[in-house]
Amino acid sequence: MSEKNVLLKIRGLKIQGYSDETWVDIIKGVDLTLHRGEVMGLIGESGAGKSTIGAGAMGYARDGTRISEGSIEFDGMELTTASESEKRALRGARIAYVAQSAAASFNPAHKIIDQHTEAPLQYRLKKRMEAQEDAIDLYNRLRLPNPEEIGFRYPHQVSGGQLQRAMTAMAMSCRPDLIIFDEPTTALDVTTQIEVLAAIRDIVEQFNTAALYITHDLAVVAQMADTIKVLLKGNEVEEAPTEEMLSNPKEDYTKSLWAVRSFESPQRYRPKDSTPLIAVKNVDAAYTGGPKILDDVSFDIYEGMTVAVVGESGSGKSTTARVITGLLPQSKGDVLFKGEPFPPDYRNRNKDQLRQSQMIYQMADTALNPKVKISEIIGRPAQFYSGLTGVELKNRVDELLDLIELDPSLYYNRYPPELSGGQKQRIGIARALAANPTFIVCDEVTSALDQLVAEGILRLLDRLQNELNLAYMFITHDLATVRSIADEVIVMQQGKVVEQGPKDDMFTPPHHPYTDLLLSSVPEMDPNWLTTLLEERGVDNVGDAASAKITDS
Amino acid sequence: MELTTSQFVIGYYTFLLGVSCFGAYTNKRQVFMLAFSLTLVSFVLGIVGGAAALKAIAICAGMLAIAGMISFGFREFLIQIAEGDFGAGIRNSGSSSVVTLILVAACIVSGVMGWGFTEILIAITILFVVITSLNPETAKELRTAPLTAAFGMFVIFTYAVAGIFAPWIAPFGEAEVISSAFAPPDENMLLGADQLGRDMFSRIVYGSRNSVGLAITATVAAFILGAGAGLLAATKGGWFDQFMGRFADVIMSIPSLIFALLMLSIFGPTTPVIICAVAIIYAPRVFRLTRAVAGNVVVMDYIEAAKLRGEGMWYLIRREILPNSTAPLVAEFGLEFCFVFLLVAGLSFLGLGIQPPTADWGSMVRENATLISFGDITPLIPAAAIALLTVAVNFVVDWMLFRSSGLKEQ
Repeated sequence: MSEKNVLLKIRGLKIQGYSDETWVDIIKGVDLTLHRGEVMGLIGESGAGKSTIGAGAMGYARDGTRISEGSIEFDGMELTTASESEKRALRGARIAYVAQSAAASFNPAHKIIDQHTEAPLQYRLKKRMEAQEDAIDLYNRLRLPNPEEIGFRYPHQVSGGQLQRAMTAMAMSCRPDLIIFDEPTTALDVTTQIEVLAAIRDIVEQFNTAALYITHDLAVVAQMADTIKVLLKGNEVEEAPTEEMLSNPKEDYTKSLWAVRSFESPQRYRPKDSTPLIAVKNVDAAYTGGPKILDDVSFDIYEGMTVAVVGESGSGKSTTARVITGLLPQSKGDVLFKGEPFPPDYRNRNKDQLRQSQMIYQMADTALNPKVKISEIIGRPAQFYSGLTGVELKNRVDELLDLIELDPSLYYNRYPPELSGGQKQRIGIARALAANPTFIVCDEVTSALDQLVAEGILRLLDRLQNELNLAYMFITHDLATVRSIADEVIVMQQGKVVEQGPKDDMFTPPHHPYTDLLLSSVPEMDPNWLTTLLEERGVDNVGDAASAKITDS
Repeated sequence: MELTTSQFVIGYYTFLLGVSCFGAYTNKRQVFMLAFSLTLVSFVLGIVGGAAALKAIAICAGMLAIAGMISFGFREFLIQIAEGDFGAGIRNSGSSSVVTLILVAACIVSGVMGWGFTEILIAITILFVVITSLNPETAKELRTAPLTAAFGMFVIFTYAVAGIFAPWIAPFGEAEVISSAFAPPDENMLLGADQLGRDMFSRIVYGSRNSVGLAITATVAAFILGAGAGLLAATKGGWFDQFMGRFADVIMSIPSLIFALLMLSIFGPTTPVIICAVAIIYAPRVFRLTRAVAGNVVVMDYIEAAKLRGEGMWYLIRREILPNSTAPLVAEFGLEFCFVFLLVAGLSFLGLGIQPPTADWGSMVRENATLISFGDITPLIPAAAIALLTVAVNFVVDWMLFRSSGLKEQ
């Protein structure tokens, strides 16, 4: 491609962030060249500076950060020295931004189409009627259901995947030269993710728009990008065309990213003639005044085994966990623990029953009290259930910290906000272990973590299971996680168990059509995966549409 | 050496121009703009008001500079103490040994100095609390404090000293008649006498004890009531939450001053009644804030984890919810303190607050109000004392709010 075609040219970009009273480099001199119509994927773990570069490409530095060095040239215009009003004229009109959470980015008080037409009206590119017609045309191209009518709804009246597509349409409203996608599908289920990916790829091709695609999911970026740039801690690791990057990565760090999903624990089978540790029998549950969330759910969990519960969001996975832990008493059916019924409400359970089942949460940030020291977070359950005090308690905490591979002398007196995401999740695990449980509910414990860190957590959980003979109920929507840790799999859809069995059976056909849909929706590293899938199934047979068909039949 | 007027004027302009040239030369844009615009303003003012106006400007600037230096010095002082971490020893020793230590120290000091035991005890307790809370962690935060906040802390510190040691600082008793009514200041009386011939300065010093003490007690009472109810309502939820909420609405719907006047006319204007009335008036505001803050905390996963562990209500409130809602509550405490203080002063002004002859700033304003017609500023002095304290507290609170809002300075 010739020099003339260059749209965005970043040279030696350094961005600093303010922390602990000094300015620290977040981006340490990154070069980037993006041609017209090219899609570049930016990948790296969290803290690598992907989003900061994305914002920097618009000449924007978030609060508490500043662009300290380097140049950002957009279509021949230098953004680092441009005035605020010059930059404002570009944003929305020539550079658009699609954020991770569409639900949080739309203003809930205005109709979607009014927000859509705001930018073209503001820049006087179109009259209101034209802009609305154009919006409907874009909704059509993005294959939103009822394109004529959907724009006139409020953001809370459409689903997450549709909202994300509406946001992409909004970014397109001024036909920008460059769109920055900041993790647009990370918050979505695999089934919904596909339709958003297909829609984004389609529309970017149709209008020949250049894009920066920011994500931490390698398989996703393989579908979307022409070139991939790998970032690590504010530095560029390497950049190459997608095919080459996937088949022949040069740097060790990139290879480690590619190799990550190798962990697989050996399959365990149910012990014969023994009572299950937890037995859920024909359970129905609903929130007060709401519709039925769980419908006749039954399954068993045996001692020392991992049962993975999969399904898209809203399928009742977490609700099942809440019923077992007693947070949501069931309206019908029983939960048996070693053959004895568990009181439905946790308030009626005694200390020993509470001790037996513990929980590890998805968001370690909200699961650990930020104002309490690690020693107390882990020590409290031990003190509460076993009555340990003084030196005994300290020894127990040290033992637990050793168990989760953190150095007691370093972490004993620290507070949760001082730890990284993976370390926090380990503390969450230690808190659960402190109670000496036999059963632990793991609610999406790895989905907020980077792949490398997540794998560390999975290995740790597997090791602990072997050492302490724990049973896990592993809630996840990520089938790769299931493959690596589960012994048995339960597939849930709309509050019902649609399929259950040992892991080996689950990954070999034949399947229930819904399981099939889930399995086929997991992105693969092959860059042609999405194209092939769309050819096989047809555009109307992926995502929500397909899921709805299964429910109807 | 007495400066002649012309020498002063020449020196004045030389200094300003020198500063602006220095600012321009070293590229300090703000210094230059300030000094040079002051020079230009001084030209106009000098022509209109003569050398006296220039002297007034110089005095104002000097006072600002002194306030700035005091604030800077006080902040550095606190940071040094915090970095020295003298409180570490206290934190690590048990609570019983600390109590004994305080008692023993208070006994010794009051024995040696011959001052009242209670006052010394209060002072030493406050000192212990402050020193314990000053650790290297706070030093880091103190560094981010703007000069206004440091100034506020210094003013509060001064008021605290004046209030606690009032009997030894004030030259006369608060009810002692020593001169004729409205006598002007002389070498005995720094600020002159009031309408009965009592020393104004002594009464101001005593007033800091009475007015501030009352306001603090009432605010603490309001916080205990309001925050306690708010935390309980947020944790329990359900009908208890609804009941407390509606009850707070009922109290809030009654105009506060009218309610206080009503209570005081029924039960008589004694100190306990004032404290109760004010606490009841302000508790619902605290309740609302606490409930809102705690409401955001109780939905967190760590609260769920604690509930699933089987923890009781008291543990939940004390260890899980309260530590996560202190920042906004402390900021609110400062704000409420100002409102309470003004309400108490207003009640005194209306004659229903602290009763004479006890010195109180609000009633002092009223008693000397007639002097205003003679162009005397005496009644404004207690008013200024009230204003200075509220401004100081707000400076500190602003900084705390800024901190708790999580904003970072650019």
